[in-house]
Amino acid sequence: MGNIFPRWTNLLPFKILACLGVLGVCVIAVAWYSFTPKYTRVGYMPQQPIPFDHSLHAGQLGMDCRYCHTHVENSPHSNIPAAQVCWNCHGPGKVKADSPKLEPLRAAMDENYEGYTGQPIEWVQIHKVPEYAHFNHMAHVNRGVSCVECHGRVDEMPVVYHAKPLSMSFCLECHRAPEDKLRPLDQITNLAWKADDLDPEAFYAYVAGKTEASVDELKKGDAGKPWSRELIGSHLRQAWGIHPPQDCAACHY
Amino acid sequence: MRWFFLILAIASITLALALGPRGTKFSSPPFMLFPDMDNQYKLKAQKPSFFFADGQGARPPVEGTVPLGLGAPLGDEAGSSRLDYSRGDSYYSTGLFGDFYGKGFPEELTMDEAFLERGRERYQITCTPCHGTSGNGAGIVSKYWAMPPTANLVDARVKEMPEGQIFWTITHGKGLMGPYNGVLPVEDRWAVTAYLRALQAAADN
Repeated sequence: MGNIFPRWTNLLPFKILACLGVLGVCVIAVAWYSFTPKYTRVGYMPQQPIPFDHSLHAGQLGMDCRYCHTHVENSPHSNIPAAQVCWNCHGPGKVKADSPKLEPLRAAMDENYEGYTGQPIEWVQIHKVPEYAHFNHMAHVNRGVSCVECHGRVDEMPVVYHAKPLSMSFCLECHRAPEDKLRPLDQITNLAWKADDLDPEAFYAYVAGKTEASVDELKKGDAGKPWSRELIGSHLRQAWGIHPPQDCAACHY
Repeated sequence: MRWFFLILAIASITLALALGPRGTKFSSPPFMLFPDMDNQYKLKAQKPSFFFADGQGARPPVEGTVPLGLGAPLGDEAGSSRLDYSRGDSYYSTGLFGDFYGKGFPEELTMDEAFLERGRERYQITCTPCHGTSGNGAGIVSKYWAMPPTANLVDARVKEMPEGQIFWTITHGKGLMGPYNGVLPVEDRWAVTAYLRALQAAADN
């Protein structure tokens, strides 16, 4: 009886296994790298009906986020402004009223415009959590979490893009250790705010007023610690009694 | 085997070059691997809805009803603004006594430091772009664009205006200024009015 399998097939099973192994590693690597909102959502920069420039309005002109997003402090949903809000500055006889870029606005607002429809401007939503999860804007901005923590430096974006992953692990990271994401409430919409902008004396006085500790005790406890977001946040967390929920029903309800 | 690795390498490099690294800007809707329940057939804030004939999810209030948390339409006097951010026809909601602007602040309000502070915050958010931080009409808009002069809020004309008229002007707009009734709730409009009085007092000194 001769050999059915020639000699070179001796190693074939091992070669196939090796190839499958390498292929498997590649597939896992691709999935690890790209099957996450860090890959699929970050960088999403859709074209909007009007090329509204946040870096001009919120950055250069220094307008507050809440001039347009008026209900962010008292609603779970941070609203896109009604066309009326744009119309306040870009109506007839006002700023850049005749710009062709503003045609969708005129179609929505100007009854004398030939293309008038009276229909709202259809802005494209960029930031979105899956609809079985709920994010409450009001709960966050009224407790020291700035817009910038989830939306990035919108005041530096000529065209807004998705800057942070907004994945579940992104939410949980902050809910486990929110200290470096908290800031004084009057700086919520100051996206460029940093720890050095805060006057330590006034801050300690504020914290002492909210907690049982005195200013001296607070300072003593902080001796040797660098003045940082974490330090500020740890005091604010205590002063405001912040306990970010980590149970499922906190967001999935 | 050599061929296999060669093809794998070429395929990987092509894929990587075509899709780019994390953070690459793109404009097509994000790819969803498991779209289950990510988009649900429910009514969402400021989203379209196929349920209504005009396709809009946001509904104007049914005639004769008062939306919870918002005010009733003011009727004909409100002009084109269908949904007013006011309730009823009291002085507090309108700034008017009958057909006349009222003087003084309505009794529903507690005038204290927190109220003025609220007014300062809302003034700086909503009014400064045109009227300026100090109320003199030299906001950022006048620095960049030629616009008809913005009202100087600390001159004698506005100083002598009754509070009700200032409130009414914020609510309904005037001249080139649009109505701010959908942006500022009633109480905030009064707070801004109060802060404006403080600005005027400061301008005197």
